[in-house]
Amino acid sequence: MQNNECVFICEQFTEYRENTLSIELKSQVDTHLAACSSCAKVFQELGLVLDKLKQLPTLSTTQEFTNILMARIQHLDQESVLHRMYNSSYTRVAGYAIAAGLIVAIGLNIWIDPVSLSNPDRSPGYAVQQQSNQIPQSKSFAGQIDSSSDKTEDSLKIQYKSIDSGSQKLQLVNDSE
Amino acid sequence: MTQVNLKTDEELIAEFQAGNENAFVELVDRYKDRLINFVYRFLNDMTDAEDLVQETFLKVYKNKHAYREIAKFSTWIYTIAGNLARSELRKRKRRKTYTMSDLSYADNEFTPVDTDKDTEGIVFNSYAGEEILKAIKNLAEPFKTIIILRDIQELSYEDISTILDIPMGTVKSRVNRARLKLQETLSYLRE
Ligand SMILES: [Zn+2]
Repeated sequence: MQNNECVFICEQFTEYRENTLSIELKSQVDTHLAACSSCAKVFQELGLVLDKLKQLPTLSTTQEFTNILMARIQHLDQESVLHRMYNSSYTRVAGYAIAAGLIVAIGLNIWIDPVSLSNPDRSPGYAVQQQSNQIPQSKSFAGQIDSSSDKTEDSLKIQYKSIDSGSQKLQLVNDSE
Repeated sequence: MTQVNLKTDEELIAEFQAGNENAFVELVDRYKDRLINFVYRFLNDMTDAEDLVQETFLKVYKNKHAYREIAKFSTWIYTIAGNLARSELRKRKRRKTYTMSDLSYADNEFTPVDTDKDTEGIVFNSYAGEEILKAIKNLAEPFKTIIILRDIQELSYEDISTILDIPMGTVKSRVNRARLKLQETLSYLRE
């Protein structure tokens, strides 16, 4: 029957076997094992357990293991290339969208800018510059004219809308006052 | 013998980090069998174990730059494999429902006997062998891990301490407790 000392002695077995206990502790275990058949049995069985663990068969991976792994890696690399390509075209599209947005915003700003409105001599210059920036990819001259005239019309519509919404805002502010 | 065989694991991973894929293949050759012996003891299924070792190497491949030379390559790869094995065991536990009557022992430190097909039984079917395999399977996960690392993989206390991120003293006491648990289980099985 095991008691508290037995529990303590059993806790020392690994280090006792590896001979890393202090001299005092080692002699305490020796003395206990000589007197306690229960602990002596546990210690002996522990030795058998360790022997059995050492005898466990060594397993090997299948012959195709490395080939399968490298094929998976190749697939992974291809996927990541596609992913990068997708990401870069996505980024490009997003970039175009932001650029177009900026051009529209700048255009709007010019049209509703009081300085340019009150000084019409300055605005056409700006407008022409903006328009030429908007259509750098047009291949035919006719196309340029068409698209630029369309854009001017659109810009005018937007200009009126902006002024309308501006007065609405003002009105709201007045109301709240 | 090619020159690559003379290099340390740490030299190989450094070469792989620099873009040499042959160094990676050499590391695979060095570790695939060690890892299958490690992982199989958790999963007890050869197909699952191979899949998990593949996952381990894929992680090494994808995260090669996460390795820092302050640690040994072996402890790094064992940590990855051990984490994957433990998370696989947790997944399995969630998939299966157990009642306490499924347990062979009235001891909550034991995990249920795995009913998956035992490939190893074919090559290791002596009664004594089966006994110890059954006993390992029934060990609670922390004890099982420590027995596998120390008594089957024969890693040093220091390496185990790094892999499990626990102090050396804890490693030693856990090894002792795990062995006692194993001995207790085996003597229970014999009775
Ligand atoms: Zn005793």
